[in-house]
Amino acid sequence: MIGCYHLHMLIPRHGRALLLLFMLSGCAQKLPIDEGRMVIALPGAPVNVDPRVATDAYGEQILQMTHASLVGRDGAGDPLPDLAERWESPDPLTHIFHLRPGLRFHDGRPLTSADVRYTFTWILDGANRSPHRGLYRHLAAIETPDARTVVFRLSEPFAPFLSTMVRGIVPAGSPARGYAPPVGAGPYRIDDLSPDGEAVLSAYDGYYGGPPAIRSVTVKFVPDSNVRFLELKMGSVNFTLNGVDPDLLPAASLAGRLVVEEGPGGNVTYLGFNLRDRALSDARVRRAIALAIDRETIVRTIWKERADIVSSILPPGSWAYDPDLPAVPFAPARARRLLDEAGFPDPDGDGPLPRLRLTYKTSQNEVRRRVATVIQDQLRQIGISVDIQSLEWGTFFSDIKKGNFQMYSLTWVGISDPDIFHHAFHSRSAPPDGANRGGYSDFEVDRLTESARREPSREKRREMYRRVQRILARDLPVFPLWAGRNLLVRDRGLTGFRLTPNESYGPVREMRIVPDPATPSTGGPR
Amino acid sequence: MKRYLLGRLLRTIPVVFGVVTVVFLLIHLLPGDPVDIMLGESAVPAQKEELRRELHLDRPILSQYASYLSGIPRGDLGVSFRSREPVLGEIARRIPATVLLAATSITVAVLVALPLGVLAAMRRGKAADYLSGFAAMLSLSIPNFLLGPLLVLLFSVQLGLLPVSGYGAGRPLVLPAVTLGTGMAALLTRMVRATLLEELRKEYVTAAIARGLPYRSAVARHALRNALVPVVTALGLSFGAVLAGSVITETIFSWPGIGRLLIQAIDARDYPLVQGCVLVIALSTVAVNLATDILCARLDPRIRYE
Repeated sequence: MIGCYHLHMLIPRHGRALLLLFMLSGCAQKLPIDEGRMVIALPGAPVNVDPRVATDAYGEQILQMTHASLVGRDGAGDPLPDLAERWESPDPLTHIFHLRPGLRFHDGRPLTSADVRYTFTWILDGANRSPHRGLYRHLAAIETPDARTVVFRLSEPFAPFLSTMVRGIVPAGSPARGYAPPVGAGPYRIDDLSPDGEAVLSAYDGYYGGPPAIRSVTVKFVPDSNVRFLELKMGSVNFTLNGVDPDLLPAASLAGRLVVEEGPGGNVTYLGFNLRDRALSDARVRRAIALAIDRETIVRTIWKERADIVSSILPPGSWAYDPDLPAVPFAPARARRLLDEAGFPDPDGDGPLPRLRLTYKTSQNEVRRRVATVIQDQLRQIGISVDIQSLEWGTFFSDIKKGNFQMYSLTWVGISDPDIFHHAFHSRSAPPDGANRGGYSDFEVDRLTESARREPSREKRREMYRRVQRILARDLPVFPLWAGRNLLVRDRGLTGFRLTPNESYGPVREMRIVPDPATPSTGGPR
Repeated sequence: MKRYLLGRLLRTIPVVFGVVTVVFLLIHLLPGDPVDIMLGESAVPAQKEELRRELHLDRPILSQYASYLSGIPRGDLGVSFRSREPVLGEIARRIPATVLLAATSITVAVLVALPLGVLAAMRRGKAADYLSGFAAMLSLSIPNFLLGPLLVLLFSVQLGLLPVSGYGAGRPLVLPAVTLGTGMAALLTRMVRATLLEELRKEYVTAAIARGLPYRSAVARHALRNALVPVVTALGLSFGAVLAGSVITETIFSWPGIGRLLIQAIDARDYPLVQGCVLVIALSTVAVNLATDILCARLDPRIRYE
């Protein structure tokens, strides 16, 4: 006789009751927003939350909420008062900052000029191995004539100096302790930080700008983009900036509790060329490639209109951006003529043989791979055969830095000053000294970018950088493609966040939770 | 027994040595410079050289290797390039999460596989057998990166019973553990069925029933016990697969374990952290397999410690 077992026999009656209770308990929990809490999802965990050493984007984003700097930055890249209420530069080598009165750190200690000096001295001390040390190589001395005045003396004029002052200040004597970040003086304090888990922040009542309205903020590290979206949909996450894939945005818009906002972005994607390559050293070939790429179609189909076509690697919101730059149109017929002129005629008319074969390197990011496929198809239309190599990030970036490429695509992230042109296009900025990876060299660009970084006048610098941008638009050492728009997906019950091109989380301090009678937020599952 | 254990422990040394050596060579051969990744593009060459010296990356690779090997017996696995924390501390912080996830998923797998496998064997050729076979094939065919989001859609979004992601021993654990345990449950179900059927055909079972022992008792007391020996062996061997699967599962569910740490370390070319993670995974796999062998011997007295 064969025994007969039923699964319900495996779970005793009291076990079933417990299971039911366990499942029902899921429906009874309150959502964070109902408790006055906001949960922000970041796509990754910060490696470090110490302003003196943090380099990763996630660490920086948390620091924007927790640590105040001498100066902030507006959407155009211009400095704004932060801990310093004002500043002046009596000569190009001297910058004087005046601190606000009554500043205090989260632990109640007064914030004085000594703390400012300590922060930057710590970074400059080679023993501390701060990755930001190179940024302050022009600093010759830091003086503190009184508790509210700091004087920075430079060894040579360096016009982008103010942009380097966006660096969180920590109390004098703070050791670097990995996952125990030093206290700051920003609108939120860090109560708890668990690596790979979450950071719990609470409002700091002593913040000079007044205490934030949302008293508790949890920053959750959610690497999977689908999971991030589902968390938003469920209400267990209330806010994510550039954390939802463009493909999922229509679904986010349809979800009753979510609102999608977008604004101009500051990260410019470009196509890089290796000018040491025989074919690509000819500006006509580079222009032909640019003319053959239909950026509007790519922005419409892959980016779902969530990107702006650009003509410079400087974001359009920057104070130095040249709005009159000539745009490269989509003109495949002109592209073919240029290739003919450059000595790459079509070998067999409508036949399969290409005029030219090129490799295109990109990372394994799904969107980038799709972009590469479309560009491959568009270049095939003008007779250029493209071999796509999609590489793991470390390998890809290593190849790019070594000049081991013909074409590649990358994005400039967080450009804060037009001095980027010196870094990316000066003939002496080849890796490892800079990011001139394609080997571009132009005497006029060298001269202008050197002069501009020494020029204290904003107007004169703007004119110099506009000339640089026009030369680059003529030579096309890289082809600027688009700037992705910043996309905020937030709970309808949150208000007050201002999107900035540099993706700053600073405006979180201005946010509020508002009751939304149209969308009851309680009772849902989390 | 002591001699056997000592022998097994000694045999782990070349295994671990091999793993450490291969990983050390592979990670150093990979393109990508940790100094570039740490310092970013704004760093000047002198600064990079300085950091390279401090991290001992300027030394010949053999010297770095010897230095790493000499630290292992002292428990010194180096300092993480990215977080500047001791590697051992970094790993220790994540071990509880990974152990909790792995242990729960294995428990889920066993709790599902045993009754289903027994049911399928005892009702061979019937609907229950076909259904369990179908469910096992389906579970084996769905990769974790697909199963995880599907479970989230059903249990979190549609039914609202469980959280989408997070860390904890209660409700946040359910979906990751089921995701990780499903494939193993399917494998074990088929194995329990196959080995039990084989035992049921043996003469001692027929003899036991002929002596008047009820069929269920013959299965439960005799056949199942013998059938479990290869199943336990398979369970031990699949521990490595569970740890490998945890890399994906931990990423999907934002679970702060070693798998996720390993991915981050590889991305950052954090050599000491990658080596440390792999060393711990290798050691735990060896330890689990040793424990499996001991358990097998206790289940089947015919197995001797030699």
